[in-house]
Amino acid sequence: MKHLLPVLALLAVLFGGRAAAAPPLPGDSVYNLPVQLTTQDGQQQMLAERRGRPQLVTMFYTSCQMVCPMIIDSLRLTRNALDPATRAKIDLLAVSFDPAKDDVATLKSYAEKRKLDPRIWTLARAEPAQVRQLSGVLGLQYRQLPDGEFNHSSELILLDAEGRIAARTTLIGRLDPAFVKAIGETVNKP
Amino acid sequence: MSRPLSTVLAALAVFALAACSDKPPASPAAATPPASTSVASERGDFGPPQGEPIKAVLTSPPHVPPPIHRNYPAKVIVELEVIEKEMPISEGVSYTFWTFGGTVPGSFIRVRQGDTVEFHLKNAPDSKMPHNIDLHGVTGPGGGAASSFTAPGHASQFTFKALNQGIYVYHCATAPVGMHIANGMYGLILVEPPEGLSPVDHEYYVMQGDFYTTGKYREKGHQPFDMEKAIDEHPTYVLFNGKEGALTGDNALTAKTNETVRLFIGNGGPNLVSSFHVIGEIFDKVQPEGGTVAQHNVQTTLIPAGGAATVEFHTDVPGSYVLVDHSIFRAFNKGALGILKVDGPENKLVYSGKEVDYVYLGDRSEPNLKAVATAAKAHAAGTLTKDEQIAAGKQLFTGTCSVCHQANGEGLANVFPPLAKSDFLAADPKRAMTIVTHGLTGKITVNGHEYDSVMPPMSQLNDDEVANILTYVINSWDNPGGQYSKEDVAKARAEAGPHADPGH
Amino acid sequence: MRLRLALAWFGLVLALPAAAAEYAALPGGTFASVLPADGKAAAAQVAPFRLRTELVTNGEYLAFVREHPQWRRDKVAGILADARYLTQWAGADDLGEQALPRQPVTRVSWFAAQAYCASEGARLPSWYEWEFAAAADASRRDARADPAWRENILGWYSRPSNAALPAVGGAANVYGVRDMNGLVWEWVDDFNALMVASDSRQQGDPDLLKFCGAGAISLQEKENYAVLMRIAMLSALKAADTTNNLGFRCAKSN
Repeated sequence: MKHLLPVLALLAVLFGGRAAAAPPLPGDSVYNLPVQLTTQDGQQQMLAERRGRPQLVTMFYTSCQMVCPMIIDSLRLTRNALDPATRAKIDLLAVSFDPAKDDVATLKSYAEKRKLDPRIWTLARAEPAQVRQLSGVLGLQYRQLPDGEFNHSSELILLDAEGRIAARTTLIGRLDPAFVKAIGETVNKP
Repeated sequence: MSRPLSTVLAALAVFALAACSDKPPASPAAATPPASTSVASERGDFGPPQGEPIKAVLTSPPHVPPPIHRNYPAKVIVELEVIEKEMPISEGVSYTFWTFGGTVPGSFIRVRQGDTVEFHLKNAPDSKMPHNIDLHGVTGPGGGAASSFTAPGHASQFTFKALNQGIYVYHCATAPVGMHIANGMYGLILVEPPEGLSPVDHEYYVMQGDFYTTGKYREKGHQPFDMEKAIDEHPTYVLFNGKEGALTGDNALTAKTNETVRLFIGNGGPNLVSSFHVIGEIFDKVQPEGGTVAQHNVQTTLIPAGGAATVEFHTDVPGSYVLVDHSIFRAFNKGALGILKVDGPENKLVYSGKEVDYVYLGDRSEPNLKAVATAAKAHAAGTLTKDEQIAAGKQLFTGTCSVCHQANGEGLANVFPPLAKSDFLAADPKRAMTIVTHGLTGKITVNGHEYDSVMPPMSQLNDDEVANILTYVINSWDNPGGQYSKEDVAKARAEAGPHADPGH
Repeated sequence: MRLRLALAWFGLVLALPAAAAEYAALPGGTFASVLPADGKAAAAQVAPFRLRTELVTNGEYLAFVREHPQWRRDKVAGILADARYLTQWAGADDLGEQALPRQPVTRVSWFAAQAYCASEGARLPSWYEWEFAAAADASRRDARADPAWRENILGWYSRPSNAALPAVGGAANVYGVRDMNGLVWEWVDDFNALMVASDSRQQGDPDLLKFCGAGAISLQEKENYAVLMRIAMLSALKAADTTNNLGFRCAKSN
């Protein structure tokens, strides 16, 4: 009996916590879209599992010569411009337009070449139909060309902890102070 | 509701990628005020907006929003809605117009130079097409078109500073641009100079446009747009303010005598240039092409497609003054016609109206051609007598034949043969008909004298005139007598053919 | 007992969803599209595919919504369908009198259209597939050179859209597909790959950075404005948008 109460309390916390856990997803959250991601480490993950922490999201592909390297650099630059406390509260996610070429191994080697710490960076692929859906929900455009290259728009998108698009920037290659400010505000919202 | 795609599309102005090009990124235009001591009415940026944002008053044609009385740059909010609607284009003829603000031309926008305009373009949910707007007064990509591409049931916003004063066209620039414009998507935005415009009694808004329908002009019913005609530049209608009769009858513009009128005239096109003229008025002042330098005393001013002009004049005399495109078939056969009705007291010193109506007799030397008329009537009634013919022929002879053959038929010695007691005539009276209708050249002998002259064919005479003249001649001056009928003359005229060789 | 069995079987048949939608087989091939495949001039390659002969109707979509209540207008997430989604219906699962069962369903977003097609074991057609099918008229596979084909489309554009939509089932083209032109706009799978300059007068503008790689697509066959307007329409939309005149049909790969 002496142990029952704490056990019951623990159980109550566990299950009660569970029941009280996720309030319903807001209607404008991108997590309403079920997208199955596979990371550069081969891990399967639903996009919605990222709920709870703000995310800096973009889309790219590894064989892109022109702007995609800049996108990755901009993400890095933006993250570094944040103060350490804020920095620790966000994750970075880059999803490939080109799942055919960007398999897990390719993503992994790209991450290593560009020194992207997997604790911070998730490079992911999804099935083609889901890539199109993700681009739809993020408002990005892309088109595959006959030679395998892609035309695509380039943006950094900030999702708040609930998956709502809180800010976005098209400024690639250098810092967007307004975007950095928006990240700070979103992350540190009470 | 986030609009990430429109943000992407709107990125043109601000987008910069150093890696893809070596050029430094473009910084947003921070216009420095011109260094020279320019007149305030030249291009200028007067600094950031001051005071509370102002919601712009937009008006439907032909009305113009009131003049701006403000001496500082402000933020002005303009909300314009695109509505696709079916409206009459002419009596009994309807057309699906695409409009800014429900009218063709679209609402008139009035701001002051240096204002910061926050432009909201809304596209009604019922619209079939996406639309955008290009304002010629905007300095920026597409004149705003790049930033205002709007799907039905959505709205776009962009902001621009009105750096230049003037009267500017705005229009939709969605592909195919010509079709959107041809369907009525144009209007005017006035950017006042900072000192404002001089006061006038009336300001009106008129915009010309050409319209292309598959049916003919005024063919009744609903008419669709005809792209082939538009490409070939063969309009069906050329109209002021989108409708035949938009400015006539009860819809005529009005003014009183001794007032000043200013017209803001635009030309949406899509194709035609306008030769704008107000019948009965002279433009005291014209700002050709809407520019800053004024021209004076102009009768007709050219307004390019996608352009505008400001004209001013003073009304002196009452009446209806007709606005036209002086490529005049457009005014009377395609509808480019409007009326300015001026009421007030007459001013005879400037224009008197009709003073006298007097008779003006024609060119004929014989003042009285009554006999000719009588003969003609009689011939028509079938009762023509020889005496009537002789009387008519006598009147006709004078002034036509008498010039050469003389009034008494004597002719001129060695030059023109006589008709009086002419043996030549008596030898073959029928020949006379051929001579009068076809002329005569070459040597002939008349009454013992030789004549070698040229008688031209009297082709100005018709058959009964010839018949009457010859009847008169053959019965005068001791000639044998006889009668010629119109039918004989006609036969002789036809038989002989051109340049018949007269027998000797 | 037999009677009961028969009645039960009969009831079962009635309770089954309506007869599966008809799909026509299209041959595919090389196709001169208004949108060059490489952004400049290359022709498009269309693999053989099957296309739904009729647009999805109000009645069919209603059945879908009843079976997948997350797509009810009172339940769907705002990011997947905007505020005007299915507002032409009287209720969330009730057409009412204004929305007739055989009218094409409109006011549906791209996500909704995709979900419906998935429920039919299908997908949305790609732009090239759609353009390929729409080029046909009643007797020819490619009628685009015929001014009458163009006039037919333009005639629809110039009709005001406040009249009620007619039912699906208009004249079939040579493939047996109906209502490709003249009824509603239609979603395509890669609607957001139509990366044309939003100011369409900027064709050939070398702004390479906007759509990294080749700049905005330069539209070919500029006289084919009938199709260009369709592209203009689709490129103005976002995935969650709905409009009064936008519906869809599905496609299947072979």
